[in-house]
Amino acid sequence: MSDADGYHGVADPGLQQERTALAWERTAISSMAAGILLARFAAANAHPTLSAVGVIQSIIGAVVLVWAGLHYDDLHLPIRSGRSVVHPSAARLLGLSTVVFSGFAFVFALIVISDG
Amino acid sequence: MPAVSRYHPDVADPDDEPAVETAARRRAGLVRRVLNDPRDVGEHPDYRFTLANERTFLAWIRTALALAAGGLGIVSFIDNLYGKELLGLVLLGLSFVTSATSYRRWAANERSMRLDEPLPTSWLPLVIAVGTGVIGIAAAIFFAATEF
Repeated sequence: MSDADGYHGVADPGLQQERTALAWERTAISSMAAGILLARFAAANAHPTLSAVGVIQSIIGAVVLVWAGLHYDDLHLPIRSGRSVVHPSAARLLGLSTVVFSGFAFVFALIVISDG
Repeated sequence: MPAVSRYHPDVADPDDEPAVETAARRRAGLVRRVLNDPRDVGEHPDYRFTLANERTFLAWIRTALALAAGGLGIVSFIDNLYGKELLGLVLLGLSFVTSATSYRRWAANERSMRLDEPLPTSWLPLVIAVGTGVIGIAAAIFFAATEF
């Protein structure tokens, strides 16, 4: 490999892409855990719709987990050739699903409190 | 530099779009503004900064998820704690605010880096720090009030 191909001796001294992949995976696993928590508590309080929100959140977490694992192997070439490594779509998916999740978690808390 | 995205070969890279205004392009522009894509402006920053910004976004998302988990836990798990409803709702409210602002903050940071401008300031770290501190103290007081 030579510089002409966009390759250099040290690929990534800071392991940036690996750290970022791990951050995505931690976040995905957190999504799954939080989703399961809501699914469990909502089911225990007989609220199947809110329980489904939790299940969907943990499925999104699983999808993001697999995506992060697959995607970050592909980042070597864009990084070395100076291409953009930004992916707003994944950030949008995760941002939106987390907003929806915490909104429904708030609704669930209100329902539990008003049920006494 | 190739004219198409590596990941979406059939989609032209936004940086290479010619500045011709067509109806389709204006509609695409509207979608862009709604989706708040930072690639509209400036130039790619150093990839390390892009990835650091992404990790910061993910850290905020995890913070939101942790606050939500705490709120759900207090409301569902704990019996017989004075003020547990208030604690749970404040935690879940903080979680909502954190997650609702995280994408916009990420996009604003990315935009600033692409334009080589100072990063925008944010009041959210202060809100989270004061909020969790107050919740901690309130929880201690509520535990004491329940106990005695």
